[in-house]
Amino acid sequence: MAGHASVLEDLSILSRLDRALLRLERAFALLSGLAVFSLMLMAVVSVSGRNAINAPLPGYVDWIEQAMPLIAFLGISFVQREGGHIRMDIFISRLRGRALWLFELVSVLLILVLMMALVWGSWAHFLRSFDFGAPLWSRDSSIDIGIPLWPAKLLAPVAFSVLCLRLALQVWGFGRALVLGLETPVAVPLIQDAAKQAMAEAEQLDGQG
Amino acid sequence: METIDIGLWVTGGLLVLVIVGMRVAFAAALAGLVGLVWIFWSKKGYASEDLGWALTVAIKTAGQVPHSKVSTHTLSLIPTFILIGYLAYYAGLTRALFEAAKRWVAWVPGGLAVSTVFATAGFAAVSGASVATSAVFARIAIPEMLKIGYNKQFAAGVVAAGGTLASLIPPSAILVIYAIIVEQDVGRLLLAGFIPGAFSALVYGLLIVGIAVIFKNVGPPVGGFTWGQRFAALPGALPIVAVILIIIGFVYNPFGEQAWGTPTEGGAIGAFIVFCFALWRGMRWGQLKSALLETAKLTAMIFSIIWGVLIYVRFLGFADLPGAFSDWITSLTLSPMLILVCILLAYAVLGMFMDAIGMLLLTLPVVYPAVMALNGGETVAAADSAFGMSGPMCAIWFGILVVKMAEFCLITPPIGLNCFVVAGVRPDLSVQDVFRGVMPFFVADGITIALLVAFPAIVLYLPSLAG
Amino acid sequence: ATEWNASVWGKRRAFTEHVEKLAELVAEKTGGEFTINVSYGGLSKPRENLDGISIGAFEMAQFCAGYHRDKNRAITVLELPFLGVSNLDEEVAVSHAVYDHPAVMEEMAQWNARIIMTSPMPQYNIVGTGEPRDELADFDGMRVRATGGLGQAFEAVGGVPTSVPATEAFNAMESGVVDTVAFAQHAHLSFGTINKADWWTANLNPGTVNCPVVVNIDAYEALPAEHREALDSSIDEAIDHYLANYGELLKKWDGVLEEKGVQKVMIDDAVIEEFRAKAADPIREAWIADMSAQGIPAQDLYDLVMETLKTAKAGN
Ligand code: NA
Ligand code: NA
Repeated sequence: MAGHASVLEDLSILSRLDRALLRLERAFALLSGLAVFSLMLMAVVSVSGRNAINAPLPGYVDWIEQAMPLIAFLGISFVQREGGHIRMDIFISRLRGRALWLFELVSVLLILVLMMALVWGSWAHFLRSFDFGAPLWSRDSSIDIGIPLWPAKLLAPVAFSVLCLRLALQVWGFGRALVLGLETPVAVPLIQDAAKQAMAEAEQLDGQG
Repeated sequence: METIDIGLWVTGGLLVLVIVGMRVAFAAALAGLVGLVWIFWSKKGYASEDLGWALTVAIKTAGQVPHSKVSTHTLSLIPTFILIGYLAYYAGLTRALFEAAKRWVAWVPGGLAVSTVFATAGFAAVSGASVATSAVFARIAIPEMLKIGYNKQFAAGVVAAGGTLASLIPPSAILVIYAIIVEQDVGRLLLAGFIPGAFSALVYGLLIVGIAVIFKNVGPPVGGFTWGQRFAALPGALPIVAVILIIIGFVYNPFGEQAWGTPTEGGAIGAFIVFCFALWRGMRWGQLKSALLETAKLTAMIFSIIWGVLIYVRFLGFADLPGAFSDWITSLTLSPMLILVCILLAYAVLGMFMDAIGMLLLTLPVVYPAVMALNGGETVAAADSAFGMSGPMCAIWFGILVVKMAEFCLITPPIGLNCFVVAGVRPDLSVQDVFRGVMPFFVADGITIALLVAFPAIVLYLPSLAG
Repeated sequence: ATEWNASVWGKRRAFTEHVEKLAELVAEKTGGEFTINVSYGGLSKPRENLDGISIGAFEMAQFCAGYHRDKNRAITVLELPFLGVSNLDEEVAVSHAVYDHPAVMEEMAQWNARIIMTSPMPQYNIVGTGEPRDELADFDGMRVRATGGLGQAFEAVGGVPTSVPATEAFNAMESGVVDTVAFAQHAHLSFGTINKADWWTANLNPGTVNCPVVVNIDAYEALPAEHREALDSSIDEAIDHYLANYGELLKKWDGVLEEKGVQKVMIDDAVIEEFRAKAADPIREAWIADMSAQGIPAQDLYDLVMETLKTAKAGN
């Protein structure tokens, strides 16, 4: 998607870790896509129930709000792996070699620090809604039908933790490129050249549409 | 230090981070977090033993925002609208629409480009997300244009600009977000988008014809379709027309007083119909999976920006910057119309560095009350108002203007999401190519916005009929 | 100087007048040394105001018990349907009595919060379109925007509670997502539901929501003595101001109905009695059983409400 970049692979430990994490990230992203799909089905059930037999899905709004974190957070690390979160690359696209890796490294390090803080902050948010002593472990519930909110709140620190792992790998990848002065480091998103992207495209879209 | 000064310093820092290439969602969140620490610490007089407290409170405050802000029923239509676009693509609906547009209008100068614009406009009536629309047409329309010798930058520009139409022509995620932020009636706003959206498409089309007449090598007309072929292409485009009619009928029930559901539900119903159609056309799990993964990626990207920017907005709330701005705007002694034009220009500049949704989330809490106050308040009558329209009508008119500016920001460098997407889909195009190709459309958008400002009736005609 | 932030939501309206008045009085009494900055939604989402207090992000906040029953189980007693509260003075009396109960204080202390006053709300009557629903049978299958115990009450007679956010209530009504909306009068006005309505139930009086104003305990205890005194001594005056202001609004209410062409529906006492029997007793009993199982002195709290109510009614 936006700002597509390619990630090179080889047999190093770093690259193997990258691909292992990718499997998890892809599964998470698919889960997020399925959640969007279920959102659509839920609306159909609710609308037809309401208009056809005057029996709307109870707690429809509550359920949607529960599904939103699934949709919003689970794909975040997958997008970071591909370098898909948007940025302004007018400055950075002019850099080459070590200068480029330095800026990428600093940027990824800052994001890692931010995300570790947010793992803590969102975990605290989850903890405030969680109580082992309460029914359904709930200390915060939805308005209509009282669904416990802690599972949805837990999704943020979980997805952000996976992103932290991804960022740690990227710190390693860019750091290695900086120290060794590499041209084409593995396991980090590179600005893609046309030929490689054409290949990726062909795999993805052949014979469709 | 005054909290407002802290607000300005942190905003400057955010700009630096964005310019050196930090990903926008995280740059905004980081700026917000640092700003919160600063605010809380300043409250304790910067005593060194209180830094830990300030850090903890700031991190916990920021840590609430992602879950809190995305768990909103109304935002759920963003992923649904994105899904519609990809399902329609995988169902072959988009291609059929393009084919029909081609056979009917490609005989004019710049024919395929004009067909592309009209096909995106038609597709816009089922797709609520500009970015997804551009992504889909980059795959279908650009290859055809290149095949008959179009300049590749121009072809890319047509698709990037055409995609923006999805945000004005209902359904539209951006219009709904505007409605949520300013607490206005979603249905009437969506209705208001129709004519300006079609109008924009027309201006784009005329611009392309003009360019093609002047620069002969830009895009030759494509003739030779018989009337038989033209009519033969229509059945393929019918499903999408059916989906459009169903969505409209759903939201504006023609058979009774009350609608069958909200626009949010209408979007979901539309997606479901497209899904059924895709199944009927033989979509398999592999294609559905691709559609879901692409939806997930685009959704994660957009929501990261949403919560990232909202952490920053939360910090602005503590710094009380919105209040200060609103006071400043209303204290100006310029004419209201001049101030409005300045606000729109400010959006054009800000839109260069922001994505559309982030920009609305960031600015509307500040700008909307100021504009309503300029017009004479939320409940002012048309006769007593500065812009010659009642409060609710002003909310609609300003909404369409802002959304048109937000569309504009989808194609302006350096951060123009549609251009990124087109370049991302096409291996043979760099982002710079797309930005170069899209430039003529800045003129078209400028003309459209000027006309919408000068003749509010273009916007307000339909909603005023709805009463 | 002491600077506090107060997190409320929406726009300035009758529902927030006591907070505004409190800020004004405190600043006045301390010669501007103690200021409370009231923020409408800039600091938190309404449903997370208690979280913000617990974190210490701001010092004062307003919330409603029904937004998150599990966060404030003890005070949900005040949202039970058909308690019999008939005016705002009684609402203040029962609320403040409950707030002083040790079980409530303890539960709030878990959020580092201390309730200082209530935001008394009149009974939540419903508006709707089409034919007035004045029989119990009309409530069957009715989609009603109502939260908390009120929602449960309508459910008990076959209604379907649907809690769209207050800000979307108008849209929900227009698009048929809900048939009716239960609000206090000021909210019917400020969220525009009255503009869409054909009728309003004048005497259904099924119950109301309870929305306390809390302060962060640490911040409260850290106040210099004269500032704390200024705050404590202003509460009654702030509430009085709120009551007077709301009273003005209620006086204008009949005029508003007339102007908007909304029919004032009086429901038969027999119907209300039937509703009460079906909704009030079972819900209360279920609530007491459920809360007692969780270690909350539910019966005690309910008795306290009834006693206070009796005293308040006798005092009038
Ligand atoms: Na659209
Ligand atoms: Na831009």
